[in-house]
Formats: sequence, structure tokens, C-alpha cells
Amino acid sequence: MDKEIVERVARIAHLDLTEEELERYGEDLSEILEYFQMLDEIPGEDTLGFNPIIVADVLREDEPRMDIEPEEILKGMKTYEGYVRGPRLS
Amino acid sequence: MKIGLEIHVQLPTKTKMFCSCPTEGEDRPNSRVCPTCLGLPGSKPSLNRKAVELGLTIAKVLGCTIPEQTWFSRKTYFYPDLCKHFQTTQYDMPIGERGVYKLGNKDIRITRVHLEEDPGKTKRVGDNTALVDYNRSGIPLVEIVTEPDISSPAEARQFLAELLVTIRNAIDLPADGDRSVRCDCNISVGKERCEVKNVTGLKNVENCLKYEAVRQTKTLKAGGKIERETRRFDEERKVTLPARKKEYEADYGYIGEPDLGIYNIGEIAASIKIRESPIEMATRFTTQYGLDSGKAKQIVTTSLELAALFEELVKATDVKTAITWTTGAITANWKTFDVSKKDELISIVKELFNGSIKDTECSIRVKALMTGKSADELSSAAGDLEEVINGLIDANLHVVDDYRKNPKAANMIIGMAMKQTGGAYSSSDIVEAVTRMIETRL
Amino acid sequence: MTDLKRINDIYEMYTSFTDAEPNGKFTFSAKDNLTSIDFESCAGSKILSGYRPPFDATPIKKMREAGGFLQGKTNMDEFGFGTFSANSGFGIPKNPYDLNRSCGGSSGGAACAAAVLEDHVALGVSTGGSIVCPASFCGVYGIAPSYGRVSRYGLIDYANSLDKVGVLSAKAADLGKYLRIIAGKDEHDPTSCVQPDMPEKDRAMKSVAVPKEAIEGISDKVMTHFEASLESLRSMGIDVEYVDMPVLKYAMPAYYVIAASEASTNLARFCGMRYGQQDGDLSLGFDAYFTSFRSKYFGDEAKRRILLGTFTRMVGYADRYYNKALRVRESIIQEYKKVFTNCDAVVTPTMPFISPRFDEIANMSALDVYKADFLTIPPNLTGMPHMSVPCGYSDGMPVGLMFTSDHWNEDVLLSAAVEWEKGFEMKRPEVKA
Repeated sequence: MDKEIVERVARIAHLDLTEEELERYGEDLSEILEYFQMLDEIPGEDTLGFNPIIVADVLREDEPRMDIEPEEILKGMKTYEGYVRGPRLS
Repeated sequence: MKIGLEIHVQLPTKTKMFCSCPTEGEDRPNSRVCPTCLGLPGSKPSLNRKAVELGLTIAKVLGCTIPEQTWFSRKTYFYPDLCKHFQTTQYDMPIGERGVYKLGNKDIRITRVHLEEDPGKTKRVGDNTALVDYNRSGIPLVEIVTEPDISSPAEARQFLAELLVTIRNAIDLPADGDRSVRCDCNISVGKERCEVKNVTGLKNVENCLKYEAVRQTKTLKAGGKIERETRRFDEERKVTLPARKKEYEADYGYIGEPDLGIYNIGEIAASIKIRESPIEMATRFTTQYGLDSGKAKQIVTTSLELAALFEELVKATDVKTAITWTTGAITANWKTFDVSKKDELISIVKELFNGSIKDTECSIRVKALMTGKSADELSSAAGDLEEVINGLIDANLHVVDDYRKNPKAANMIIGMAMKQTGGAYSSSDIVEAVTRMIETRL
Repeated sequence: MTDLKRINDIYEMYTSFTDAEPNGKFTFSAKDNLTSIDFESCAGSKILSGYRPPFDATPIKKMREAGGFLQGKTNMDEFGFGTFSANSGFGIPKNPYDLNRSCGGSSGGAACAAAVLEDHVALGVSTGGSIVCPASFCGVYGIAPSYGRVSRYGLIDYANSLDKVGVLSAKAADLGKYLRIIAGKDEHDPTSCVQPDMPEKDRAMKSVAVPKEAIEGISDKVMTHFEASLESLRSMGIDVEYVDMPVLKYAMPAYYVIAASEASTNLARFCGMRYGQQDGDLSLGFDAYFTSFRSKYFGDEAKRRILLGTFTRMVGYADRYYNKALRVRESIIQEYKKVFTNCDAVVTPTMPFISPRFDEIANMSALDVYKADFLTIPPNLTGMPHMSVPCGYSDGMPVGLMFTSDHWNEDVLLSAAVEWEKGFEMKRPEVKA
């Protein structure tokens, strides 16, 4: 995994890496991915599931319910007049 | 010019897509939130059945192919109003694909229809920090993606307007559906296209496309090149501008959503009955019952409940009786009618059909039921009116023959009856009585 | 200072706890990635410092409803990313048998609490071996049930298709007793809603299979005890046979690809907004603001897995890694199912070596650590219930024996644990306080 890809991945993942980290993670990931190449050896099944068991058709009925007071949930957040405060948009 | 739209419509559910928070109610910011729609650590999603049903109804109305199985995916990007920093949406297996929408004689191809959650809403403030309201976070949306088959901004607007009528008829969209519809507009005048993101409402879509068409044409004429880019629409200045945030499809890194599993939707889709549109219903009435097209349209536009009553009357009596009474007395008194009494109404007409009551009595009882007035009062008034009309028809017997060719021939008798009774009866009563009495003589 | 405080100062098993006199029918602890109303829940990460969840995780709620007293939250590798609990943002739990050695991980604090505290049951969480590994290193019983057996509502996600909540205790019978309390369908977690009920009576284990591939690369110390354990199983009347499971070697790469891909999306939400650390300058642009928090507060291994997982699901690489790993997982599930047509469980050592010293751990590369999980990963990747029981002591350090059964067959493991305990002489550690 070359430095350019590590930089790109870090940018997408919102991580700021120092030169030393770029190099170190680059080496670690190269070693790991090289080992992972063994996945190319086996075809795998045609079907692909997102869970190790079949989780199918679990649906909830459209009935409104609120178990926790929103005020209780917002307690630990930075708020202003009920809005949650966040960083500048640009 | 090629235009393709990605249309987001809010689905009319009581609860959010992945949690039980209400979609309507208090508007105070962050008053309808829970751990799930705030993306708190440890929270899990749980899919709303109604959202799936409504999405599938739209996919079906648009003639999409519905897969046996569907699932959700995580689209990862960072933004303050997207609390999990991934949007739960559909990627590789949407609920519908390859549909088509008839816009007049033209086909607008539908690429796909998929379900997704809405992010929260951000408000900017003076010091430039963001204030976020997550009441909207998790509201269920259906996204409809078209092929670039639309050829002008005006056509885009017309398409959207008609599409919304179709959707509204299929799923009872709330009245502000037009305003809340949001579009990503793709437009190309030459080879390269631009996408204008998040344009709200029909008028803005048309304006934004108009501006963008002119901008691209001018650029090309001046020997410039259109860059493939994402733009945004400034509603006040009616111009498009390069978007501040650059997003790349390649960076979303979609993966399946393991917290929800998969959904076998074939069965749900098969059980969904698509409601006939009013236009389709009127056409069917004409071909199926030989109803003239003007009367058919009048019935369906008066009320879909009236149309349903008409079909019940056909079953309870016969086509001719149903047409006479639906287009006559029942339409005339529809405004004051309490529809819950429809069975009673049908049984009165049925008595006439069986021969146990006469025309006049039927008319009086129908009117009494529909208006709440007393039958005696109506009966003496109607007797007087019918006497007048009978006299007029006797004196102008040719009208009956003329009526056969053109129902407008009744207008002559109607006009005379109105003049003669001098405002004692409502015009709808007179129209009804004249039509009915001519028809009995046919 | 209370005894509990003194004990915790030495072993660092709790990140937060109460030394109030327990007033329940039983006392339990929960791994710090399970949310609870009355304790901070940080999942071992500094980025969540100070976070007090507004709700109890379902397993904790159920334990409380059964009369349990929640004593504290146990230390762990940050978000579960580790094999030795050395990747915690809040100190490192110590092995009760040798303070210079690891408890194992990532539920290290849970195993330590189960070993050190009297009459204690610990809720742990396993993604790739995080219950059985520390159970083995700390000489206690530990079970990770089938994927979907216990609700994950309130579990701070590592990898949603792999995470399982389970039980650790010094007493074999506790596994079944408390697993039955926390198991069951929960409307807040759809993946828990497809499970069959647990049978009321545990079925006996009659036969086990040892995959030849799983006993290569095991240290001599562990191997000696493993072979002796197979003899014990035979003397208990359980058939032991050897089988070939050649696809097992692909479990490790498939696991890390799926785990990292899912983890990198789960960790996207931690950004200095809404919960945990929120002390930044909001006038920074949001990209810079989020980046600064994530860079400052995520630990080394969390960053490594975020980078790995962002890469393995990226356009152009996803087919080779993420999508391929899902297909390989299916192959390994099929292989297990085949083996389970002829036997009740698969048996291997839990870990290939006894608990390493911290100075040895410091010298391991990231890949070396990943490889150390090669025995615990296959059952975890495939969502199969698995359990570690203590099976001997080498140089005074515990050795663990791992059983894996088919989906939903926890009861076979539970009965085996109780039977095993009858013939095994446990040496509890000497608790310093």
C-alpha cells in the first residue's frame, strides 16, 4: 500500500496522520494486505450474506412510541435553544 | 438537451424509517428523537413495515421490476446532520428497477426506486457554527431515479407534477407533497453533464434547469468546456453555483447493513393492490359500462367514493339504473350526503329496480336520505315540480327523440321548467327531475 | 480504602465501578462497551470519555430485572480491537496469575473480574475471540453464544455481523444460568429476532472433532495440556475423532476484512459532536473539526483498523476484499455444517500459547497479533457458539480448551462445561489486596 493510497484513505476516514504514522501504517497495512492475498486462492460461495445466520423479514409495525424523554438524551450534548451545536458547515 | 432526475419523496408513515419516533407532531427542534435516530453508540435500527409497503407501491405504480430479495447499505460520509456518518440507504439491490412512466405519449424510463432515511436539518447561525435539528433524521424517503429522457426544463416540471399526482393517488401523499419534493437534477446540453443537488419544489427545479441550460449553452458557444461537477441552486438569485463540498461516489465505500438483514419482498409486493388513477377509472367506465366519457369523468372527478358507489349500484341493480341514478339524483345531492349511509341509499334504488317502489317515490326517498330533509315536504314539492315537467314534455314530445341522439336536448325543458317555477326549486333538482322523466319515456 | 478499590488498583479490571455494598440477588459486571445508565460507557476509548448513556443495554437490563447488582464496567481494548487488552485508553488489566502478563482480550477486564472476585459473573463481548481468549488466559469459563442469541441493543458496535454478548465465570454452571437470562428476542435488535428458543434441558455432548489444521503452530506447553484434555474427554465417554477442515486458514483474512470494513463505518460517528469528548473549536470547518478529534482521541489500533476497513470497502478494492470475504465466510460456514453432521462439537486449544508478558506483546507486529487469533476466529466469523474451559496450568499460567458447536446448540456446550468441571481441579489465583 503506497503512501498516496494511505493518504487518500486517511482523508476519506477523517484522520490526520503525521509523516511517521503515514509510513508506519503504510508498512503495517502492506504486510497485512499481502497476507490477505490468500483470499484470492479460494472461490468462495456464489451467495453472499451480510450475517452468519439468516436474518430475514424482521419488520416493525408503524406505531409511534418514545421510550426516553428527548431532554434526557440531549443532556450530555452541546445545545442552543434545543438545537444540537455542530462545527461550521464550510 | 438531456435531463435526468433523482426525486426524493417523503413517505407518509406515522413513525420514522428505523425507529418508532413520530414523523409528525411537535416542531420544537429535537423533540422527536431517540438513541437510534440520533445515532447514539449502541443503538440499532428496526425497519418500518409501512415504509416498505409504500415504497413497493410506488415501485409498482412506476412499472418497476421488483426483486425477490432486497437489503440496505451504509453510505459513509461526514456531515453534521448525518449523525451516524453513514446514511442507511439502498445500493446494490433497490426495491424496484427498470420502470417506465407515461408522460403523454412519451416514455420516461425509471432507472430505479429505492428506500432511504433522511438526515437531520442544519441551520446556520451568526458565528457560522451549525445548529442541527434531528427531528427529520430517519424520516423515510423514496428516491426515484430517471434515465436522462427528459428534454426540457418545462417537460421536467410537467413530469414532476404528473408523477406527484400519480404517487398521491397511489399512497395518499400529504398536501404539501409538492413543496417537500426534493430533486437532484442532472442536465447536459453537450457531452458532459452537471448535477445540481437538493433542489426543493417544482418551480425551483424548472428554474434551476433553465439557468443551467443557458449557462452550459453559453459556455459551449464561447468555446468553453463543461466540467463534470456537482452544483447547488441559489433559490433567491435563481442561479446555480459550484457546490462547496465535493463528494465522490468512490469514497462512500458502501457495505451491506448487517443490523437489518435481508427482506424477501416478493410476497409483500404481490399482495399490494395498485389503486386505479381517476383517468384510468373514467376510461374503464366508458368501455365497461358504455357510459359517455363526459359523464364518466364527471363521476370520478366529483368523488372517488361516488365512483365506488356507482360500481356497487351496477352490481345491486343493472347498468342502466345505476347510470340514471348516479348521474342524476345522487350526483345532484352528493355535497350534503353522509357517505356512511351508502348501503341505505343502495337499498332504496334496489327497491325501485325490483319494482316495489315507483320512480317518484324513489327520487323523494333518495333526496330525503341525502339531504336530511323530510320526505313529506319533498314529496309535495316534487309532485308539483313533476307535474310541471310532465306538462312541458307532453307539449314538446320531440324532445324525447332528440334526447336519444343528444342528451343536451333536455336543456330546453330544463330552461322552461326553471322559468315556469320561478326559483322555487334548485337548478340541480330540476336538472335531475327533467333527465329522469325524459329517460323513463325513452 | 475499600477492598474492591485496593483490588482494582492492582488488577485494573474496572474502568468504573461502585464499591457500595451489593444489594442484589447476585453481583455482575459488564464490559465497558455495553451501555448502562449509571456508569460511563466508553468502550475503552478516550473519544467517549465522559459519555453517560441514557439507556441500559438489553443484556444489562435483563440481568438487573433478574435481580442482578451491576458493580462496574470492565476494561477492554478500545472498541474491542485487540487480543491482550493492552489497547485500552484507560490503563491495562493485569493477569491474576502473573501481573506482568496479559489478561487476554478484548474482554480482559471481564475475565480478570471473574477470576479475582468471589461469586462474580461477568458479561463479555466477543467479535473474534474476545470472550474465550481472556477466559483461557485467566483460567475461567467463558461462552460466546450463537450470533443473534443475545440482543446487541446497547452494545457499542465493533462489527455488527460478528459481535456477540456472552458470559464469563469461575463456575461452569453460571454460563447456562446467566446466558438463559440475557438470551432471547428483542424488538430493538432485529438480528436477535430469528432465534429458536433454547431447550429447557441441556443435551449431552457425545462426540467431538479435532480439525488437523487447528493443531499446527501450537506451543508445546499448550499442546501437552490439549492432548491430555482429549484423553479426559474420552474418559468422559465422548468420542474424539480427527477431521480435515482445509478452509479454516482463510477465516483469519476473511474475518479481519469484514470486521475492519464494518468497524470503519461504525466508528465514523465518533467526531467530537453529540457525546464523549466535545471540547473543540466549533468555528473550524466540519471536516477539520471532525478530523482533529478523531486524530487526537482514537488509539493506534483503532486508527489502523479504520484505515484498513476504509480501504477494503473502497471502490476498486471492495470486490477483492469486502465482497470476497463475505463469500469466503459462507464457505467456512458450509464446512462447519458438514462437520457437525457427524459430531456435536469441534475442539481445539483456545489460544496457541499461554498468556504472554507485556514486554513480549510490545514486540509483536500488528499482523503477529492478528495471527494469534487463528483458533478463535473461525467460530466467531461463522457465528457459531463457542466456549473456553480451563484445562490445565503451565508454569502456573492457565491453559484453555475451546469447544465450538453448531448455530443455536449452546446447550451442548453448557452441559459439557458442567461435566468438565466435575473432573477438573481448578486453581483459583491468589488475590492480592
